[in-house]
Amino acid sequence: MGESSIELPQGTLDLLILRTLALEPLHGWAVSERIQQISIDVLRVQQGSLYPALHRLERRGWIKAKWGTSDNNRRAKFYELTRAGRRQLEIERTAWEKLTAAVARVLETT
Amino acid sequence: MFRNTLRDALHDTWFRLRALLGRNRQKAQHDEELRFHIDQQIAKYVDSGMSPDEAARRVRIQFGSLDQVQEECWNARGVNLLESFLQDVRYAIRTLRKSPGFTTSAVLTLALGIGANTAIFTVINSVLLNPLPYSDPQELVTMKQNDSLLNLKDIQRDNHSFVAGGGINTMPMDFTGGPEPVQIRGGLADAGFLQTLGVRPMLGRLIDASEDVKGGPRNVVVSYGFWKNFLHGDPQVLGKNIMLSGNSYSVIGVTPRDFILPRERADVFVSLWVAYPEAAAHRGVHFMHSYWRLKAGVTVPQAQADIAEIDRRLSEQYPDGEKDRRTVLLPLREAVVGNLRSGLLVLFGAVGLVLLIACANFAMLLIARAMSRQRELMTRAALGAGPARLIRQRLTESILLALAGGAAGLLFAWTGTRLLLAIKPAALQRFSTIHIDGRVFLFVFGVSLLTGVVFGLAPAWSASRANVAESLRDSARATPAGGSRHRLRSVLVASEFALALVLLVGAGLLIKAFGRLRSVDPGFNPANVTTFYLSPPATRYPKIPLQMNFRRELLAKISSLPGAESAMVSDVPLAGNLVDHRVVIDGQPTPAVGTEPEVQTLSVMGDYFGVMQIPICAGRDFSAMDREDQPLVAIVNQAFVRQLLPGQNPLGTRIDWIRRDEPHKWMTIVGVVADVKHSGLNLPVDPAVYAPFAQNEEPWRTWTTLVIRTRSPIAGVIENVKKQVWSLDSQVPVSDIQSMDDLMALSLAQQRFNMMLLGAFAGLALLLAAVGIYGMMAYRVTQRTHEIGVYVALGAGRTHVLRLIMRDGARLAACGIVAGLIGAMVITRVMTTLLFEVKPTDPVVFSLVAVLLAAVALVACYVPARRALSVPPTVALRCE
Repeated sequence: MGESSIELPQGTLDLLILRTLALEPLHGWAVSERIQQISIDVLRVQQGSLYPALHRLERRGWIKAKWGTSDNNRRAKFYELTRAGRRQLEIERTAWEKLTAAVARVLETT
Repeated sequence: MFRNTLRDALHDTWFRLRALLGRNRQKAQHDEELRFHIDQQIAKYVDSGMSPDEAARRVRIQFGSLDQVQEECWNARGVNLLESFLQDVRYAIRTLRKSPGFTTSAVLTLALGIGANTAIFTVINSVLLNPLPYSDPQELVTMKQNDSLLNLKDIQRDNHSFVAGGGINTMPMDFTGGPEPVQIRGGLADAGFLQTLGVRPMLGRLIDASEDVKGGPRNVVVSYGFWKNFLHGDPQVLGKNIMLSGNSYSVIGVTPRDFILPRERADVFVSLWVAYPEAAAHRGVHFMHSYWRLKAGVTVPQAQADIAEIDRRLSEQYPDGEKDRRTVLLPLREAVVGNLRSGLLVLFGAVGLVLLIACANFAMLLIARAMSRQRELMTRAALGAGPARLIRQRLTESILLALAGGAAGLLFAWTGTRLLLAIKPAALQRFSTIHIDGRVFLFVFGVSLLTGVVFGLAPAWSASRANVAESLRDSARATPAGGSRHRLRSVLVASEFALALVLLVGAGLLIKAFGRLRSVDPGFNPANVTTFYLSPPATRYPKIPLQMNFRRELLAKISSLPGAESAMVSDVPLAGNLVDHRVVIDGQPTPAVGTEPEVQTLSVMGDYFGVMQIPICAGRDFSAMDREDQPLVAIVNQAFVRQLLPGQNPLGTRIDWIRRDEPHKWMTIVGVVADVKHSGLNLPVDPAVYAPFAQNEEPWRTWTTLVIRTRSPIAGVIENVKKQVWSLDSQVPVSDIQSMDDLMALSLAQQRFNMMLLGAFAGLALLLAAVGIYGMMAYRVTQRTHEIGVYVALGAGRTHVLRLIMRDGARLAACGIVAGLIGAMVITRVMTTLLFEVKPTDPVVFSLVAVLLAAVALVACYVPARRALSVPPTVALRCE
């Protein structure tokens, strides 16, 4: 793991996955790649925790999975956001924004 | 919002279930998904110039253990719920086995509650829910009134509502051919009767409509019991002849083993037309119970309307006898269980309360256990067990306990049901088939599960809420009980007392009513009186002079037995038999036809009133002079005078039975005797007329009951009497040999049964409530030993400390008792029909029960309090 990368704070992985899938259906590996890419390698997804998270989100009904074909013509499991997932994304995004804003304010004043 | 939650929950469950069911397929898919990821990652590293080996190694390091990832995925999908459930079960079994005292008391408590419930439910299941062992019983209806065969035939012909119908009357018949002549119960029916009930004979066939005519063949269908007991279960029995009441009948069929009649008891079935043509031909003899099977789609009200129309036609056609026809149809189930329902439901309510009390104790045991295991639980919580997981584990334990309690309860119930039936409540005797079946199992399982969940949830929840950090820190000193948990226990104890009070009041009322009933003066002295029911067969004693000869000779023989006074009567009191006739009184205006007063008619011979010690209030007793060709005489009871001759001198008044087309044969009232409870101790006395057997004019009344009073119970009387009877006629059955005391007891059997059961349940409730409050007080006192030590060391008086400790318990008991009194006032109203001359709010019973409960509570509190006081203060102060 590179020097510049940081551990994901607890609870943020779900948000990131939902956000990533909001653009287009992706398979698991692509999700981790995309998060890393967009965050310019700052955020690294623990490979081991990605899949439990995906399965948990699927159980909640926020994403759904179907088998498709990857770029290199292999069978891969693609996840896409459901309507409930989209709602959840909005909820979590708002909560996150509130949290970061509050934390930022606290940090600035002290 | 709620709909979303619900939908999410459904989705969640469905998802877990699918995951669980398609487990292997899904595992393969997960493997494939993870492999794809790894391959992609390796490819990426190789693309960036790494050697394939090095890339694979890096990926493995990044990924960690594949198994663990798989495992976590499973957890995420929720499949592990089942596995963790099994884990919980194993854990619960292990910990329960480690504390056998707790386990035993919890299981036993629940077993008592569930067992009592199951026993009563077993009876209710057979009697109320499943009372009619016939095919499609919901189609069966019965007529509230009896009717004559001719009317039934007309209804069968003219109705548009029934597919079948038939009637039956049961009467004693003699079966001769065995070692002793015996009296059996003959079912005189029409061909439609057994067919309507849907009977499929085990052997042979039923009587056909073509044989059910005047002068038809003498065929008999015997019951399974008769076939087994009297025909030795002979498989070749068909076509054999048996002697019934002096006639030879050919056996053509045997009914199945589990067949019972809806309301009657019969050993054999013969055609009424064949066996008793005299009665069959009389339209006015309304003596048959009838049963009808509704056509598909016809409702009871529709059938009722149909019957009303037929009633109207019949009353037009036969205005003198059938004028006031008002036939009422009842669903058969209603007719069979109607009068049992209130008693059984009261009992079911009572055992329900017992179960609630047992559950309260169970919950208190769980709370106590949770407290003593506080540290263990907190350690587990500190190590990361979530509250949901902890609650689930506690619930697993309580459900497991409840199921074990249910299993043990089933055992209790099995024994209890047998005991219950051994008491032989008269009203339940017909139900030979009371047994534990699938529905009972389901009931036990449901009740146990519910108990485990509902009464395990509160303690588990309150345990999970305790503060982890505080609890762990507080290891050195005993923590004061958590406020909410103490409140929960207090509420439980108070409710136990309230419930127990309701039960005790119910039992108290029944006991008082039973006492009232027992002290009812039957009007005769039952001590040392034995009764024998004899019926000389009408075939050989068709005429009254023949019957009289038999009676006279027999009475002379019996009277010569030393130490015995004897007499004869047609029917003894409380035996359940009586004949009513309509009566007219000379000099009074003749009432409209069909509205004449009905009175009980009894024939006597010998010194009946003397033997039974029924006082003669006015006039004289019968004498030997009141014979066949002498003036007709009668003796009436006081109820007759009160109701039919108010303000008149009964002596010398002439009465007669109603007669249609012949002149009156007036009987002169020569005496008045005291009232006798003939129909039942709890029923008012009806007017009755006694007349000498010698002046009887109805040859069909052949039967006679011999009453013998001995100075003390004498062994051998029964055998002696039998010998005397059979020395006169070896073919006369002697049956129903009973002492009057037995008859009295028998007539109270149902009340005794209700009282004993409710009493037992109330006792159980009292015991459980006492254990509950004792357990709580003992626990509280142990907790406060230190505090008590301080008081004593500071010089507080013994009584002062005692009062301090007992105040808690006393307050709870008082709350419970007050709540229970209010509850009992409301609830005991349902018992009104079961209570004889006792109001459901009887103040004596209420106050006695309250005092009893208060005393029990005080003792239960006093014992642990005294134990606490007996600890020397020096020890108590060191106590943690």
